[in-house]
Amino acid sequence: MTDATANAAPAAGRRTSKSIIETDANTRKRNAAEARFRYYGMAAIGVGLFFLCALTFSILRSGLPAFTETAVTVDFTLSQEQFDEAEGQVLKTAAYEGFFVRELQAELNEEGASDVEVSEAAVGRIMGKVGSQIREFYRANPDRLGEEVSFTLPASSRVDRYLNGNLSREQLTNSRFLEPDDLDIVDGLVESGVMVNAFDWGFITGTDSGVDNPGGAGLGASIMGSFFMMLVVLVLALPIGVAASIYLEEFAPQNKFTDLIEINISNLAAVPSIVFGILGLAVFIQFAHLPQSAPLVGGLVLTLMTLPTIIISTRASLKSVPPSIRAAALGVGASKMQSVFHHVLPLAMPGILTGTIIGLAQALGETAPLLLIGMVGYVARQHPDGLASGLLDPNSAMPAQIYTWAARSDPAFYEKAWGGIIILLVFLLFMNAIAIILRRRFERRW
Amino acid sequence: MYDADHNRTESRVSQNEIKISSRNVQVYYGDNHAIKDVDVDIEDRLVTAFIGPSGCGKSTFLRCLNRMNDTIPICRVEGDIHIDGEDIYDKRVDPVQLRAKVGMVFQKPNPFPKSIYDNVAYGPKIHGLAKNKSELDDIVERALKRAAIWDEVKDRLDASGTGLSGGQQQRLCIARAVATEPEVLLMDEPCSALDPIATGQVEELIDELKQNYSVVIVTHSMQQAARVSQKTAFFHLGNLVEYGETEKIFTNPQDSRTESYITGRIG
Ligand SMILES: Nc1ncnc2c1ncn2[C@@H]1O[C@H](COP(=O)(O)OP(=O)(O)O)[C@@H](O)[C@H]1O
Ligand SMILES: [Mg+2]
Repeated sequence: MTDATANAAPAAGRRTSKSIIETDANTRKRNAAEARFRYYGMAAIGVGLFFLCALTFSILRSGLPAFTETAVTVDFTLSQEQFDEAEGQVLKTAAYEGFFVRELQAELNEEGASDVEVSEAAVGRIMGKVGSQIREFYRANPDRLGEEVSFTLPASSRVDRYLNGNLSREQLTNSRFLEPDDLDIVDGLVESGVMVNAFDWGFITGTDSGVDNPGGAGLGASIMGSFFMMLVVLVLALPIGVAASIYLEEFAPQNKFTDLIEINISNLAAVPSIVFGILGLAVFIQFAHLPQSAPLVGGLVLTLMTLPTIIISTRASLKSVPPSIRAAALGVGASKMQSVFHHVLPLAMPGILTGTIIGLAQALGETAPLLLIGMVGYVARQHPDGLASGLLDPNSAMPAQIYTWAARSDPAFYEKAWGGIIILLVFLLFMNAIAIILRRRFERRW
Repeated sequence: MYDADHNRTESRVSQNEIKISSRNVQVYYGDNHAIKDVDVDIEDRLVTAFIGPSGCGKSTFLRCLNRMNDTIPICRVEGDIHIDGEDIYDKRVDPVQLRAKVGMVFQKPNPFPKSIYDNVAYGPKIHGLAKNKSELDDIVERALKRAAIWDEVKDRLDASGTGLSGGQQQRLCIARAVATEPEVLLMDEPCSALDPIATGQVEELIDELKQNYSVVIVTHSMQQAARVSQKTAFFHLGNLVEYGETEKIFTNPQDSRTESYITGRIG
């Protein structure tokens, strides 16, 4: 007993003060752990960036060629006699092809490339059915007969791919679509400037083509389809979602029923989109008899899908408005409604808009539900106006169109699919940029 | 200095009429009985202080007076509270109208994230107190002057109210409260977030305000209660223990609990 106290006293007296210059083992360990954590974080970001770069690179590499088109421009003069002569023959388009080849050879000679010799067969392989295009033009515009008309006619998708470096001579050895000798002609045409590889607006504004014509396929109709769907989603989901959130967050009594609604909304946000698709098929098409493949139906289905996202993000941003603001408004005699609409809602606006745009972006990229309501595989060419143009006209949507192209066998469509992905990503980036701008604009400090 | 003040008000105390009277008030938060049997008569044109240890129900009772407790779902109020003889918990009473008559200033300064002008103009606007812009300008100017902040902000009425210092923000909130021409002003620890200089300014202001309003102030600081109030109510564990002239409460408390609190033994 006495020993213990005797030992304790000097121990307390001997207590040495620790140097803060020498790091002790504990501190070293902690610092090492912190450094390690920092490296883990940097590694994670590095891996993420690497994959982002790889993805961007491969998308651009595979998709950019879809935006260019190889075309041959020939100045062409067709007299009334030639027209009558061609129309009198049995194989009318072949006659026009003959005229075209003659003019093309003349053009080549003029450009000083007379060593390149074009034949009707080779032109048929390189350029497809030029005869029918020329015939159609003159039948529609007989007044242009006898004048010089500049024709720009697209080359076949294989020539496109050859010029983009995606097709080699070796691959062509036993192809009946394009022969290795044709490539010499193509080289000659390119060298003389008759054939150019130029930006193709048709890919952005055009309609889908049939399986046999990958070169002419464009995304324009599907962009319209997606646009109309987004319009429906915005017009329905934003007001319904925001109104529902305001009611649930600010006015609804806290009871079992509202708890149930809350749980349901959270669960709906996690329901696979294909379920919404089959719901849309059953309710909107089979029960309500809305037209199949219509952007209206697609928009309604996507509205159902987007609503939970909008409601959840809107409620979160309403919740983040400090309660003191509500108290302040009520304190000066504002009604509940006034406090919400004059003070809470404006402060929650950046969050609401961000949530809405993220919901819209999600809806824009959604494919699965569209499969079920028939917005896939529709070829807009069949539409009388060419470009499907309304809420009720059958149409496709961007991601569905991409899916359709990717499923086709011709590798040229594969290229188109990648190109479509680039356009889709550009739209998504654009929407996210809007979200950021709106956020900045509405953001307030307090 | 304070003595002179008190002598002067004391003669006035007896003349003042009763603005708010509460009888048998009970407040429950769910099962928690937070206010028990509170009877109190609050007079017009003077400052009444509510003091007491934390959690004794001062804020709760204050919120009963303008029915801010209505916004707390689990809160239940029983008993009678009359303002000018009218039962404020009567079914026909619109709490919005009541709150225009009974203004409130909160513990943490909470200006709207809008311009200084809009902060003050908001109340008059929604209550239709101004017929046109120039009338509204007058109301804003008068309120800011009454809150003793006009000189500091008159050149930047378009600046954000949240950009002011803490003391300025609280005076802006007072200006916002007086702009709606209330008859009673409730203040819940209005100085607890302020430094001593700002506190002094707000206290001076409270002293001014009592000429036009019945002011009820909740405070943690007994010195503050002694400085600004003429009547003091001491709450303890949900009970109103003692209520009377401030001077008497601080110099000659009747209840042993009051005495322990003001001498620093509980709280
Ligand atoms: N919003 C609330 N919900 C539930 N209980 C509350 C709430 N506000 C206050 N209370 C309870 O009421 C009692 C009194 O609180 P309060 O009036 O804030 O005390 P004071 O302002 O005197 O410190 C405390 O027990 C507190 O826990
Ligand atoms: Mg309190």
